[in-house]
Amino acid sequence: MRQSIRAWRRTWGWSVAPLCAAIALGSSGVALAHHSFAMFDSAHQVKLAGTVKSFEWSNPHVYIELNATGADGSNKDYTVECANPGILDRIGWKFNMIKPGDKITVIIAPLKTGEPGGLLKQVTLPDGRVFANGAPAGKASIK
Amino acid sequence: MLQITRLNSRTMAGSCLLAALCLGAATPGLAAAAQPSASAAQPAVPAAIESSPPAVHGLTGTWNRYPQLGEAPDPKLPPPPPPVPPPPLKAQYKPAWDAKQQAIKDADARGEPPFTDYVKCLPDGMPTMMIAMFPMEVLQTPGQVTIMQEAYNQVRRIYLNEKQIPIEDAEPGYWGHSVGHWEGNTLLIDTVGIKPTVTFRGVPHSDQMRIHERIEMLRPDFFEDHITVEDPVYLTAPWSFSYAYTRLPHYKMLEYVCDSNREYKDPKTGGTRMRLGGH
Repeated sequence: MRQSIRAWRRTWGWSVAPLCAAIALGSSGVALAHHSFAMFDSAHQVKLAGTVKSFEWSNPHVYIELNATGADGSNKDYTVECANPGILDRIGWKFNMIKPGDKITVIIAPLKTGEPGGLLKQVTLPDGRVFANGAPAGKASIK
Repeated sequence: MLQITRLNSRTMAGSCLLAALCLGAATPGLAAAAQPSASAAQPAVPAAIESSPPAVHGLTGTWNRYPQLGEAPDPKLPPPPPPVPPPPLKAQYKPAWDAKQQAIKDADARGEPPFTDYVKCLPDGMPTMMIAMFPMEVLQTPGQVTIMQEAYNQVRRIYLNEKQIPIEDAEPGYWGHSVGHWEGNTLLIDTVGIKPTVTFRGVPHSDQMRIHERIEMLRPDFFEDHITVEDPVYLTAPWSFSYAYTRLPHYKMLEYVCDSNREYKDPKTGGTRMRLGGH
């Protein structure tokens, strides 16, 4: 948790904690890091196994496009948002460690809109290595 | 959360500093003692001051904000700066600002976070840049100190021993026009010319805004930036806050070009949405 909080500000900054900031500061209008987490439902995480369609190493975020079959049996393309190259570099990711065609498993906080996409919490690569999405995004709460 | 952590971990000395800052903001005499005085803020640089960087305590290098969010303060370092106090907005401007803060909170609660300039991939500018969300690099070269922030490749240049330009001649921009000079281990900086849309915590400002900084090299690997914002149009008093930084040895700054932004503004709600399936 400490590690999580420690780097939180680096990507998401104040925007993730408007309420906390409001309590502490009497305001929340502070510098937003790239954007708030409020779009994602971290309380209801989802696990998806699928095939990578693309892996984009870019700012302000890294993205995985994943074709996967959800718990309801339907096959969809999911957009998975990761932190940014700086954050991910610093926790051991590499710009080319995921490739189209790779079979991977992700745990995401889904979009609250119900659209097929979400915020990455954890990814398992074909060779079994497991990576978090940097402390700012928080840890996976499911297995 | 950062502020809460800081509140929790703040030492007694930190509390005293906070109190001193609050007092300083409210009491002209104390403010003058604790911050650059009106005369120091003005362009004139005493001729006797040799504006060269301290020989040992160089600013050159890469730096991280200290403490990082949730990081326990290092007892060997000075206590972390207190939280940023609320802006001393004039009464006629405060309700609008308060309402905006509430609107942001409500939008987040609905899962529709506001689509801000930062989400649009615009850099945060001054003084927000000094929160150092990502690592920061400082270069000392003859006549100039250059500060770079990894997020958005931001660069600000501080010209040493130059007279500040008249405030009415300052072109509005993100980092403004900065001049500075060294006094011992402290770099005093005066900045004018920040665009009205470039705000710190959403606080409105006029073209009369002036940002004073005292960058104090307290240790070879530790410095503090004491920032004071003055704006006779919007603020009732100088608004002061500080940030601390520790050296990041051997860190190599990364580039940051925001060329793949998938966040966009929902036309219906005005909130931020994530574009699916690429650009």
